[in-house]
Amino acid sequence: MNFLESIRIGWRSIGSHKLRSTLTTLGVIIGVAAVITFMVLGSGFTASIIGDIEADQEPVMMVQTQTVPEDGFGIMTVDSPIYTESDIAELEELDGVEFVAPEGGLDVVQAGTDDEQVTGVIDVQATTADAFEFSTFVDGETFDGPDEAVVNEQASQAFEANLSAGDELTLTFEDGETETVTVAGVVESELGDQTPPTVYVPAEPYYTTTIGTPDGDEERAYPFLQVGAEDLDAVDPVQEDVTEYVEDESHAAELKQDGDEIEVQTVEDAIEQFSDIVDQLTLFIGAVAGIALVVGSIGIANIMIVSVTERTREIGIMKAVGARRRDVMQLFLVESVILGVIGALVGVALGLAAGYAGVTLLEWPMAYPLEWIAIAIVVGVSVGVVSGLYPAWRAARVDPIEALRHE
Amino acid sequence: MGYESDSAATAVVAEDVRRTYHLAEPVHAVDGVSLSLAEGSFTAVMGPSGSGKSTLMNLVGCLDTPDDGRVAIAGQSVGELSDDDRAHLRGTEIGFVFQTFDLMARLTAAENVTLPMVFHDPVDADRRERARALLERVGLGDRLEHKPTELSGGQRQRVAIARALANEPSLVLADEPTGNLDSETEAEIMDLFVELNDEGTTILLVTHEREVAEYADHVVHLLDGRIEDVEHLGERRDVAVGDRVTGALEEVTGDV
Ligand SMILES: Nc1ncnc2c1ncn2[C@@H]1O[C@H](COP(=O)(O)OP(=O)(O)OP(=O)(O)O)[C@@H](O)[C@H]1O
Ligand SMILES: [Mg+2]
Repeated sequence: MNFLESIRIGWRSIGSHKLRSTLTTLGVIIGVAAVITFMVLGSGFTASIIGDIEADQEPVMMVQTQTVPEDGFGIMTVDSPIYTESDIAELEELDGVEFVAPEGGLDVVQAGTDDEQVTGVIDVQATTADAFEFSTFVDGETFDGPDEAVVNEQASQAFEANLSAGDELTLTFEDGETETVTVAGVVESELGDQTPPTVYVPAEPYYTTTIGTPDGDEERAYPFLQVGAEDLDAVDPVQEDVTEYVEDESHAAELKQDGDEIEVQTVEDAIEQFSDIVDQLTLFIGAVAGIALVVGSIGIANIMIVSVTERTREIGIMKAVGARRRDVMQLFLVESVILGVIGALVGVALGLAAGYAGVTLLEWPMAYPLEWIAIAIVVGVSVGVVSGLYPAWRAARVDPIEALRHE
Repeated sequence: MGYESDSAATAVVAEDVRRTYHLAEPVHAVDGVSLSLAEGSFTAVMGPSGSGKSTLMNLVGCLDTPDDGRVAIAGQSVGELSDDDRAHLRGTEIGFVFQTFDLMARLTAAENVTLPMVFHDPVDADRRERARALLERVGLGDRLEHKPTELSGGQRQRVAIARALANEPSLVLADEPTGNLDSETEAEIMDLFVELNDEGTTILLVTHEREVAEYADHVVHLLDGRIEDVEHLGERRDVAVGDRVTGALEEVTGDV
């Protein structure tokens, strides 16, 4: 029997049971839609964070300490201060290194202007002006002197009357001391919307955390370093040299906890690591949605079995007029595959729509997960085949005389 | 008791065919029937309800296989064929017409008529054309796109006849084709069978009604799964093919 002909006949019988067919495909629709929605949201989330970074790549890398937590999974960043002033000085001497900017948090509980106090949410980091070498300022410029500060856009917006260059900012430390600095500039956040509101102040004089070095001295030490290479071409060799130094010769190598790992990450590495985590998460959610597909195929199988019983007489007629087993089998298989494919297509459309609504709401970029759309359609076909096999086999085995006697 | 209409050109041969259903007690639905239908003959089968008419029809139509004995259609022994080969034989050599019409409810008249062609030859470009010609022939040229539910009983049976003719079978089997029709429609349908037979198609027709049986050349009477009597009506119809069949029947009558 001709394939097109069986599609026509299958389509006809699906069309004559519209409500039933719709309900039957619902499982597949929901499963596929869920997968596609999560994939769109996942890629949107990823793109919202790394999209900007990739656009204007910078020749910088982060030196930080990471650990694998004992219970739980993933990787955690450790913020114990182990990178000493001597390490920084040594790193600065390396070929191709433009600057080394340390970064370390300060215990500030409150930030305020004359009119407004913001408590808790604002992070205060001590660093050097070099850290802003490749940053884009939306207002003003980097700090230059002990009584100046740089704020990021989020910090600026944390105040009702958005902070801008020239504003006075009073920081209240945990021990009750206060310092007043002038905002020198507002910097664009590198990690987009996900960056917490941060105020950057010069490490000199505000950063006071020290550590006993292996040489027996007491030195200032920081939990993070930002290393700038001379240009993008220098990034790879510099990353190698920096890694070699911090892992083998630095104070940090001796000061770090056992099990902690010193990481030298370029922006590219960071993006990769981040997308890996998001990918794993999306995959996990996708697997959960896959359960809906299993339920969906059971639904199709069920309705096809009912349909074989209902149409026993028709099968008898077809056999009487010359249908062979495989003709009957093909008819029923084609019908369940049509159901599966319709389910997948509607699911893809619905998933894209839901994903689009989601990313629009969250102001993330829209993504079309093409490979997942392809997978969804393949899955739709397979669900149709798998769930149709047994009913079709039963249909093919129907005895024509019994069938013609069937009411 | 056996019945043989022609030994030279036989469309159907049945030799001591038995079909038994095993229920609490075995039911011998067909219990040793021998018959032979000449090509181009028109035979009616009569008998009380439960006498095995439909069972015999199914055996001759390759829908069923005998438990014992032999059935041959167009020279092929049915018992030796596989399931699919029998389906093929049904599709090419045999056309069925049933009492309840048995059309596909969701397909139009034209699609119902093309159905046997679809199973027979997947790459047949002008089957629509032939379906139209067949429906025109049974007087339904203006009902091509009607669904069975949009047709009268007589019209449905005409569609069923057109469908039976789809692959130009040599044998048409009809199980009480007029059982659900009024007498006027019955006459129209029977005229179609006569016309077909005049063109050389072998016809085997089951009926309860004497007046229907009288369209045939001869009538086989069944009782309890056996042939009780064969009645010869050949001279009733003055048709061209009559000569050969009548001649053949003369021999048979003595045997009855
Ligand atoms: N599938 C079956 N299982 C058991 N017994 C059956 C089956 N089919 C037919 N029979 C029995 O075989 C006998 C012949 O049945 P068949 O249908 O051939 O009769 P019939 O002559 O066509 O009757 P009617 O005129 O009522 O159609 C009946 O006694 C019937 O009960
Ligand atoms: Mg019957």
